[in-house]
Amino acid sequence: MRWWSGLRRRLRAAREIYEGMFVAPYRSQIYREYLEQRDLFLLAGFSDLLGAPNPVAFYTLELYPELIEQFHQWHLRLGMEHPPEGGFRCC
Amino acid sequence: MLLAREVLFFGGKGGVGKTTLASAFALLAAERGQRTLLVSTDPAHSTGDILELSVGSEPREVLSRLWAVEIDPVQEADHYVADVKARIADTTPPRLMAEVERQIDIARVSPGAEEAALFERFTRIMEEAGDRYDRLIFDTAPLGHTLRLLSLPEQMATWMSGLIGRRKKVNALGRMWRRVAGAAAGDGSPPHDRVLAALEQRKARFERARTVLTDARRSAFVLVATPERLPLLEAEKAVGTLERYGIPVGAVFLNRVLPDEAAGEFFERRREREARYLDQATATFSGHTMHLIPLQETDVHGLAALRRIVATLPESERGALS
Repeated sequence: MRWWSGLRRRLRAAREIYEGMFVAPYRSQIYREYLEQRDLFLLAGFSDLLGAPNPVAFYTLELYPELIEQFHQWHLRLGMEHPPEGGFRCC
Repeated sequence: MLLAREVLFFGGKGGVGKTTLASAFALLAAERGQRTLLVSTDPAHSTGDILELSVGSEPREVLSRLWAVEIDPVQEADHYVADVKARIADTTPPRLMAEVERQIDIARVSPGAEEAALFERFTRIMEEAGDRYDRLIFDTAPLGHTLRLLSLPEQMATWMSGLIGRRKKVNALGRMWRRVAGAAAGDGSPPHDRVLAALEQRKARFERARTVLTDARRSAFVLVATPERLPLLEAEKAVGTLERYGIPVGAVFLNRVLPDEAAGEFFERRREREARYLDQATATFSGHTMHLIPLQETDVHGLAALRRIVATLPESERGALS
């Protein structure tokens, strides 16, 4: 059975090379795209906060928890321990 | 015949007799055996005064087969906000809840909030009417406001579609990301997206309202004016706006037309002027049915007075209902 485990090892290696070459860059691309679309979605739902008219502003109140959570993650990502003045008081 | 439709809206410049005519038609429908709901969205809320019955914010059967409700925008907005808060309570992290509630309260006092809440209730009434009532009669706020409200289903549904489309894209990408990243993708949207569900439910309701509003067999807008310059101008503008939004105009009522028995030099001079406005109205609304309602000796309030108004309606509108 030696040849069998050798084959498996080689297959695994081939798979890792394949993932490293094709899936990994693709993965980060998907993640970026995902984050971008999430931002765009919130932008569409809360355009009024940026001064652009939004006829459905009052119908998107359910989205606030998500908006505030993302705002919280954003200021942490920027290295700010506390949210900037004037924004959401998320923490 | 107007009452052949499920939904009728009465609108016109303030003070021309919208409430009177809406109540008269509601009374007529109820007395013809239709379960009728008379809805007042006019902040002046004179329905109760005309019927001489107490009307509140929940539908109440004020006469046999006639229900009435007065919608208060302030109360509707409060209801809506309380509803949203309850809906998000169990999915929102506790540390965020206070801030989320604060933001929602800010939105509550923003311009347009009450109009939006009014619209929310309006679509809900249309949705729930099916089993409970045969006829819905809306006595609407002065025109500009109402036309905006009626144009909302279209704008809203379009905007909502955009938002829903984006949301679906986000969810699809989230799923893809979790698939390629495996355990590395810790967070992400939950499998059942409540936000998407809420958005889709609202959009579907707006679309159903729009379907009824634009179907000439199911609903109609009735314009009320008096034979005077400004009310006629406003009605003319309204016809244009309604046509643009695809909302059928059922009829134009000219209220408080001088009756023949009003005689004397003063009335003759008024009648001459009125004749000119009537001609003008006939030309303006040539594509629509126009009815004249004579000026009454006394104010219209109470059921007896309302029945006198019903008696002045044209025979074609008073026939038996199928």
